[in-house]
Amino acid sequence: MALMEAEQEELMRLLGSVAQGNRKAFQQLYERISGRMYGLCFKLAGQQELAEEALQDAFIRIWHHAGEYHSERGAPLSWMMTIARYRTLDLMRARKVRQTAGDDLLEHVEDERHGPLEASLHQAGSAALTGCLEELSEVQRDSILLSYYRGFTHDELAEALSSPIGTVKSWIRRGLIALKRCLER
Amino acid sequence: MNKTPERIESLAAEYVLGSLRGPARRRFERWMMESVRVRQEVWFWETRLGELTGAVEEKRPPEAVWQRIEQRLWSDRGHPAKARTTTPPARTPRGAWFWPGWSLLATAAALVMAVVLVRQPAPVAYPQLSGAIVQQNVADPLWLVSETTVDNRLKLRPVAAAEPEQGKDYELWIVPEQGDPLSLGVLPVGGIYQVTLTDAAREALSRSRTLAISLEPKGGSPTGAPTGPILHVTKLYEL
Repeated sequence: MALMEAEQEELMRLLGSVAQGNRKAFQQLYERISGRMYGLCFKLAGQQELAEEALQDAFIRIWHHAGEYHSERGAPLSWMMTIARYRTLDLMRARKVRQTAGDDLLEHVEDERHGPLEASLHQAGSAALTGCLEELSEVQRDSILLSYYRGFTHDELAEALSSPIGTVKSWIRRGLIALKRCLER
Repeated sequence: MNKTPERIESLAAEYVLGSLRGPARRRFERWMMESVRVRQEVWFWETRLGELTGAVEEKRPPEAVWQRIEQRLWSDRGHPAKARTTTPPARTPRGAWFWPGWSLLATAAALVMAVVLVRQPAPVAYPQLSGAIVQQNVADPLWLVSETTVDNRLKLRPVAAAEPEQGKDYELWIVPEQGDPLSLGVLPVGGIYQVTLTDAAREALSRSRTLAISLEPKGGSPTGAPTGPILHVTKLYEL
């Protein structure tokens, strides 16, 4: 935890320097977080070219908008990852990338939740989120995680989970509301 | 559509998740612009769901990505032009004729106005200048002008600028409070033009805050002073 805090402080310092046009700080920031960011973009897009483009665009956005960061938007890392995630989703939509559940995909989500995902989330200090995800029904949780990590649309989810689209929509909606109530407790 | 707290809550979550799409997503983005309450709800989800990214495996991006970022941010298709202020133009009779004419011409060119641009103020030690070169009856500015103080650069982004007539070029000038205009080089309309200001040029611009564009023979003024008609004069604003 102390390690996480020290890292966020360092990222905050770098972001502050970037806001003032410091290129060296920008490069350091890139070196620190590009691996995590690229991992996320790649996981979402499922392809290298789009993930690279999203990473580039995200950093360009960070360079121009570093001054707009404030603490209400979460920790610096979370803010930057959000930028990358939205950009990846935008590009996926623009290019009409269609996500399909490969044979291993659903199991993969499943595995992560019980294995590495849970462990890493605990490590990242996200015990509350993990705990609350556990309270959701399995389909609610899978729908949310597939949307988050893979950018699945309602259509794609309906196909992947072999369920009507209306049902999928309500799993997501109810799942999210339940998640919020739990996180607010 | 009603903006009930429940609806905001639900849409914000789906917005962040990415499952809100198309016109509904754009509509929600407008809500975000209008209301801090809506933005806060979005930030809540960005932060909380953002924790999920902690579980994603790192992946080293190819080296080329960083190079492309640097290129996109700082390379303006080659090298930034240096302001040609180190070699002051010879004081030709033409230049002497030209100088007193500036204010008259500027007034005559009543089609030129300057507009203030609203920008995020950056924490810099000295004033940052910004503005636009506009023309009456043209809805968009011809060029947007901004000064980055970190590296003494002046940047002009063409918006509605049209190509000069055949065999001609636009040339950009700093109009100092006193003395001859300083050339900042030939101004292309095809892309962003960046020029690194010498200390002398920056000093002159920060005092007068005035830029002008003249029409010159291809390749720029042969004399080092404006020779063609002055098309635009614009005053920049401090941010």
